Amino acid sequence: MKTKVHERLLATLSQCVAMAALTTFSSTALAQPAGIAPEAKQILKASTDFLASQQQFTAETRNTLEIVLKSGQKIEFNSTGRQSVQRPNKLRAERTGDLVEQVFVYDGQSLTLSNPQQKIYAQVAAPGTLEEMLDFARTKLDIVAPAGDLVYKNAYDILMDGVTDGIVIGKAVIEGVLCDHLAFRAPQVDWQIWIQQGAQPLPRKIVITTLDLPNAPQFAVTVTQWNLKPTFDAQTFKFTPPAGAKQIDFLPL
Amino acid sequence: MSKNRTLQAVVVTTALPLFYLAGVSSEAPTGLTLLREAHAVVGAPMTPVSAAGVARRTTRRVVAAETTTAAASTAATQQQQAATAQQQAATAQQQSATAQQQSATAQQQAAAPRPPGAPAVGSVVTALPAGCKPETRSGVEYQNCGGVYYRAAFQGNNLVYVVQ
Repeated sequence: MKTKVHERLLATLSQCVAMAALTTFSSTALAQPAGIAPEAKQILKASTDFLASQQQFTAETRNTLEIVLKSGQKIEFNSTGRQSVQRPNKLRAERTGDLVEQVFVYDGQSLTLSNPQQKIYAQVAAPGTLEEMLDFARTKLDIVAPAGDLVYKNAYDILMDGVTDGIVIGKAVIEGVLCDHLAFRAPQVDWQIWIQQGAQPLPRKIVITTLDLPNAPQFAVTVTQWNLKPTFDAQTFKFTPPAGAKQIDFLPL
Repeated sequence: MSKNRTLQAVVVTTALPLFYLAGVSSEAPTGLTLLREAHAVVGAPMTPVSAAGVARRTTRRVVAAETTTAAASTAATQQQQAATAQQQAATAQQQSATAQQQSATAQQQAAAPRPPGAPAVGSVVTALPAGCKPETRSGVEYQNCGGVYYRAAFQGNNLVYVVQ
């Protein structure tokens, strides 16, 4: 008898919660209009244009990546990254994670991928601009360069390719910075972006949800620090093999 | 005995920062090892804006993950290995002539006493079996794992080993 009461209580409780949730949603999320809201486009475009106009910058990032095991269980991996960019043709990206450490260097002539812990690196001649190099790395070598799509001068077009819906969710605070929170949908992906308010509309966080993989894993990047006036030295975009490092090949696609 | 025991196909979408591990059987190495490999497979200097990457992804790549216990290959596995080998052969054309020569030399040197059940030449693994020793030939470092030679390479962002 006691159990039954308990169960009934629980049922009532969960109904209440469900109704409360429904009420909240119906006033906000469910009210979303179809199509891309002009304001969402406008905020995003302002951000990508602003970044494209920056000749050099660094970004410190914190990344989380979900993987889905065959059982359906989700596992999250964390890493931190530091990206240094100098337009039109220099990039250095370092990543340190739970189990991996990797450095990517592009000096305008060649790109190098290095795993310092394993003392190995591979180097290959690369095209002369950041955009061409990123295309080359992605299509010929299957390398996803850190901060890649953000670096493209036409980042807006790349991002909005295939997007069917876009809304402004509202205000949010990321890493203590007031942002506009936008959400977009494309056929296989939902993505959200948080863009700093004010004169410097920098992207502060991005979450990507892949819809056509089981359990829709997410990848999130939070920029913990932007520096638009970095000081680079001669070593920043130059790869010097560590002592004892061995050179290996890239397997082309 | 099954193909799962010998060789597991890990299907990975590498053109984007999101991936799914398939074909991980209960006979695979321990969870930690799996995760370690999984992370290696992710490769992830992820682009913060890879939403575009999801839409643009075109390539699906099959990475063969070898378990440490080698068993007899089934016909299916061999087909898979052959397919991988074909891919490798295609990519090899793009590699430098020197690398091909070195590779060929190493294959000749290593070919004679190939142990039974050795993985197919040209197949790619994400982790080496236990007990490998480095050996340098013609200036290239190989890993000698019980008579099977492996050469390290980057496949995308991931460190892999190509069976010689």
